[in-house]
Amino acid sequence: MFAKLYLLYGFMVLGGIATAQYRGWSLDRISQVKNVPRSIRDNPGAYRSIYSSYHHYTGGK
Amino acid sequence: MGAGQPPIPPQPPRPPQPPGPPAGPAKPQVKSLNCPQCGAAITLRSFQQAVTVVCESCHSILDAKDPNLTVLQQFKAATGELKPMIPLGTRGKLRGTDYEVIGFQRRTIFSDGEQFDWHEYLLFNPYKGFRYLSEYQGHWNDISVCKSEPGIEHRIVDRANYLGEYYRHFQTAEATTSFVLGEFPWQVRVGDPVIVMDFVKPPHILSYEKDKQSGEVTWSVGEYLYGKEVWQAFKLQGQPPEPIGVFENQPSPNTVNLKQLWGRFLLLCACLLGLLVMSDLFSSNKVVFSATYQLASGAPKGEASFVTDVFELKGRESNVEILTEANVANNWIYLNYALIDQDTGRAWDFGREVSYYSGSDSDGSWTEGGRNDKVIVPSVPPGHYYLRIEPEADARHPAISYKVEVHRDVAVFGFYGWGLLILFVPVALLTFKAISFERARWAESDHPILKSESD
Repeated sequence: MFAKLYLLYGFMVLGGIATAQYRGWSLDRISQVKNVPRSIRDNPGAYRSIYSSYHHYTGGK
Repeated sequence: MGAGQPPIPPQPPRPPQPPGPPAGPAKPQVKSLNCPQCGAAITLRSFQQAVTVVCESCHSILDAKDPNLTVLQQFKAATGELKPMIPLGTRGKLRGTDYEVIGFQRRTIFSDGEQFDWHEYLLFNPYKGFRYLSEYQGHWNDISVCKSEPGIEHRIVDRANYLGEYYRHFQTAEATTSFVLGEFPWQVRVGDPVIVMDFVKPPHILSYEKDKQSGEVTWSVGEYLYGKEVWQAFKLQGQPPEPIGVFENQPSPNTVNLKQLWGRFLLLCACLLGLLVMSDLFSSNKVVFSATYQLASGAPKGEASFVTDVFELKGRESNVEILTEANVANNWIYLNYALIDQDTGRAWDFGREVSYYSGSDSDGSWTEGGRNDKVIVPSVPPGHYYLRIEPEADARHPAISYKVEVHRDVAVFGFYGWGLLILFVPVALLTFKAISFERARWAESDHPILKSESD
């Protein structure tokens, strides 16, 4: 019984993966912004990235 | 024997030659006698079957076949030293047959200087004969004498063959009877040593017993019982004692067929691999944009951000992969990206860093980071897009060249890694649970699965 349930569970996982692949989902976290003005093409500096205050790693060993 | 848990005593030592059921139908008979030693009343419940009977008052073992009840042995025991959980004379229906409890004994083994006891109840039915209930720390077994003699096969771990079933050797020990009450169809003696060997095939157990003095051998077979079954059978008051630890023939709580489960796991892995190959084959992975840029050395002069040419994303809503390759060496470049839909103004905003460091120290040469990066933007509808790129780097950086490449509809291999993990976890947990149980079972046997450091 459990083996059957596991098989069902497994096929649901496979189905989920196939759906994710087909729908073009991603594991990366990407932010969405709506209504970016068309003027960005002429003035790219007018747009401020969400990540512009990112703390950069400047390390090395 | 392992440390910590007490060893499981061998189960179940049997009478050397227990008699079979009476030849013809017999009525239950009860006869009252008096102990020749102390005069206390003695009840014979199996009457003709009894070979020895024990006086509860003075603990004399008497010859039940002798009309004068000759004293065979007298053992020292405090009055009320041990009270059977199922009182003598209790009647009950065990697996469809009525039985009466007529005898009780405590068996003892010594291991690593410690004493371990278990208890046996002798049950009698005038038509069916005798059977036994053994109890150790809340674990019960329903035991009867074997119908034929099992064979022992000597291997790395010995096994016994009984009626076509193989039982694995569990333990060999020397046991003695240390306390008796009631009557017995054999010459019971306190202190007589026997060699016992147990073979198990849960929920069954096969026990060999050899009398060290007479050399007589008896085989018996038992099946694990839960305390509540015994309590129901004999309609006992209260609750049975909670079982402690894992008994040698206790059925595993794991009811899943692990072999079958692992088979299903492998089948699903094959399907997962097939899905991965299919998605790689059918993903277009088309390069829709590629360009190389240069970030001039030093602090930026003026606005650093810029936009790319417009490129078209075709097909259904799908993902977009952006690859960045930079010739950094002991420095970094950070790129603020925005993938912008020219027509709708919808944007996907993300930042990526490419950094690569290398050097050498007392441990030798080392590297850290890499010169490539990739990110997958999910569910991007078809349309006309461009990238807004804003590069950043250390103020004293040299000139950095970097390449940006955009791919449409790529296979996301991370899904398959996660999928494999999600498929593996339940199988691994169940396997671990089953192995843990078996390890606990065999820990106190002569063949522990993993020996403890103290062994």
